[in-house]
Amino acid sequence: MCFKNLPIAFDEDGNAYLKEGVNDPYEYKVVDLGIEQDKLKDLMAKNGFIRSVDYDPVTRVAGALAFHSVVDLEKKKVLSTNSMATLFRGYEIILKGRDPRDAAYISSRACGVCGGVHATTSALAIEMALGIKPPPLGIVMRNILLAIEYLYDHPLHLFLLAGPDYSEELVAATNPELIDKAAKTPARGKAAHGYSTVLDIMKDLNPLKGKLYLEALSMTRVAREAYVAIGGKYPHPQSVIPGGISVTVTITTLNEVYSRLIKFFDYSQKVTAIWDDVFDFFLENNPDYAKCGIRPATMADTGVWDRPDSYDASFENCNKWGNDRWSTPGILVDGEVVTTNLRDLNAGMEEFVEHSYYEGWDGHRFKTDPLGMPLSPNHPWNKETVPKPGKQSWRDRYSWDTCPTWDRLPMEAGAYSRMYLTAKAQKAPKSKFLENTGHSMRIHVPKHTLPATTLEWKIPQHWNAFERNRARAYCIPYSAMVAMENWLLAQKLIREGETKVSTPYDIPKKGTHIGFGAWGAGRGFLTHHLIVENGVIGNYQIITPSTLNAAPRTPWGTPGPYEEAVLNTPILEKFNKTEDYQGIDILRAIRSFDPCMPCTTHIMAKDTDHVVTREVTTCACGIE
Amino acid sequence: MNKKIFVGTVGYHILRNHSIGPILLPQLRKQDWPEGVFVDELNWGPIAVVQQFEALEVPYDRIILLTAIERPNRPIGQINVFQWQGGLPDEKQIQACVGDAATGVISVENLLVIGQYFKVWPAELFIVDVEPGPEIAGEHLTEEVAVKVPQVLQVLQKLVQNNTTEITEIDYLRGDTLFL
Repeated sequence: MCFKNLPIAFDEDGNAYLKEGVNDPYEYKVVDLGIEQDKLKDLMAKNGFIRSVDYDPVTRVAGALAFHSVVDLEKKKVLSTNSMATLFRGYEIILKGRDPRDAAYISSRACGVCGGVHATTSALAIEMALGIKPPPLGIVMRNILLAIEYLYDHPLHLFLLAGPDYSEELVAATNPELIDKAAKTPARGKAAHGYSTVLDIMKDLNPLKGKLYLEALSMTRVAREAYVAIGGKYPHPQSVIPGGISVTVTITTLNEVYSRLIKFFDYSQKVTAIWDDVFDFFLENNPDYAKCGIRPATMADTGVWDRPDSYDASFENCNKWGNDRWSTPGILVDGEVVTTNLRDLNAGMEEFVEHSYYEGWDGHRFKTDPLGMPLSPNHPWNKETVPKPGKQSWRDRYSWDTCPTWDRLPMEAGAYSRMYLTAKAQKAPKSKFLENTGHSMRIHVPKHTLPATTLEWKIPQHWNAFERNRARAYCIPYSAMVAMENWLLAQKLIREGETKVSTPYDIPKKGTHIGFGAWGAGRGFLTHHLIVENGVIGNYQIITPSTLNAAPRTPWGTPGPYEEAVLNTPILEKFNKTEDYQGIDILRAIRSFDPCMPCTTHIMAKDTDHVVTREVTTCACGIE
Repeated sequence: MNKKIFVGTVGYHILRNHSIGPILLPQLRKQDWPEGVFVDELNWGPIAVVQQFEALEVPYDRIILLTAIERPNRPIGQINVFQWQGGLPDEKQIQACVGDAATGVISVENLLVIGQYFKVWPAELFIVDVEPGPEIAGEHLTEEVAVKVPQVLQVLQKLVQNNTTEITEIDYLRGDTLFL
């Protein structure tokens, strides 16, 4: 029984049904956010130190998210947060009425980094809707392509975007007391990364000049080269199509990929050792860092990387092929796995627009999924995207992001969610390179220039900014080993003459066909819900990881994941004057999610007019 | 021996005049260029551009970028030619440019700054910038810009042939004043 809040129950045979005797089963209470705002206003009136701030999409080129905090610098705490997506992208509207075959190419443009995952998720949605099963080599090559996309994405975030927050330059400016300590702290992972002290590492994390920063830049090139051998181009691959891929795969292709992939064997050892050293140093020197960005490990993940002998694209078998993935789909609530079934994951999803710039909708066309599990009127298959631009108000509507929930709970998404769920659930089939222990994932990395080793990512006690990034670092060997395992499978298939990479199909000109694609972006959970109506797209709904993470409050007032994580963040930065305050702790908290858009934070310091503005840019993936 | 010259287009697709680079790219590829002239789009990320230019055995002698940036007090369709003079903004700004670049943002300013920081630009770098007016979605140029296409092509040809004396006015762009 995975649902606690939605009116879905299961009979003895495991069949879902709508609970009986409930008058309005999907009813929910809408809380007046004005009460919270009135309290802040009262505080302002009494103390005169909290001031209102105007917010704009300040990011220089492609502003898409603003984040607003009110901070009490005396008590070192965050009083109020609002996450505000400032851009309407409207892929759902662009795709409506088009040929479904266009969807992979168009939806790929939702992101400037993770185009391949959008294309793949779109292909999966069409495969489910139209019953197209790709051949084994098509599935395996898709797995390799998308694992490589993560090998581009994770180093980019860790060293180019989040890394500078832990660099010597930044730490010296915000917590200088740590510099001397870092100089005296031996680095435990020296054998893997070669640095003697934590300060040595921090110096090479310095932006633009640090060796680790520059090395990550060059590793993004290695990953891109491997990627284009399969995808044709990056970031929007030309070869990902419903039914498989559209590129001939030979041993030469595989060799080109392998010669790049092996570079990530040593790099994996180095990166995990680097971040273990840096994060252990922070957490051991000030245990309060464990509260930075803390929230319960309540997360959703779609799972990724299909088994060629299991994936048949069907809705009927999606629990089976989902559980057979190299990463297990599912839901974690406060660190506990509540389901690993894709049908449950799908049925529990709802999107709310009470605090977003959209019209609501009345329809409830799909009351159940194709196998009879009840669906809410707010389920993506029932959702309609109707933009309603309006005045920004913290009391009412303040974001172009919707508020997605699973079983009425805001869900966090990230690369780390896929590792957490897979390690905890222990459902993934046996693997040559990966072992899931229930409390950790053991990753057997083969030798390249460094000897072979086993890396172990352990489920942490507290889910905070440091652990998000640490887990992301371990996602590099995780992804590399999945790519390697699939590379071996591809070799085997080609040797056996299984060289077919796609399955032909026709678009039916009549009838209604529904499907959903569930795959992970570099920053986690991604779904595309599709309705094909008489040969064209009748409805298309995308939920990206940042739709989940950057969500505004639920209708019943629960903060979204960014909002909650920042509310829980203590101010540990050292400063003498309020105008020197840089907001590093809040930035670390937000950046740990790998926010999927050029994101700007605004932090209002109590007792001053000082507004701290910092960019927390990462991938430009669209929210809606 | 002819100079090695690169003509690159920068700009998002499907934004009418703002997409003058992508729109004219097929036409540019068909132009009768002197030997040693390469034409390509440069929308695939400044970091990747830097890495590709770094890997060239023989670097370009001259690079010409075609773009469209909305600037105040310019009539739609006005063509300006800028010569890049080098210089860099502060490191915070450069890191912001890298952040945007690494995440898929297409911007000629980012490209100029990141290329400058990683020292891939030759001494001769020109930017042909056509005033696009406000951003509007669409696949084609508006009439005001469409009529200027022959002139744009002529300017590009002159820059390729180093006939800069025939270009009446060349302004200058510097990285240290680009974001002021």
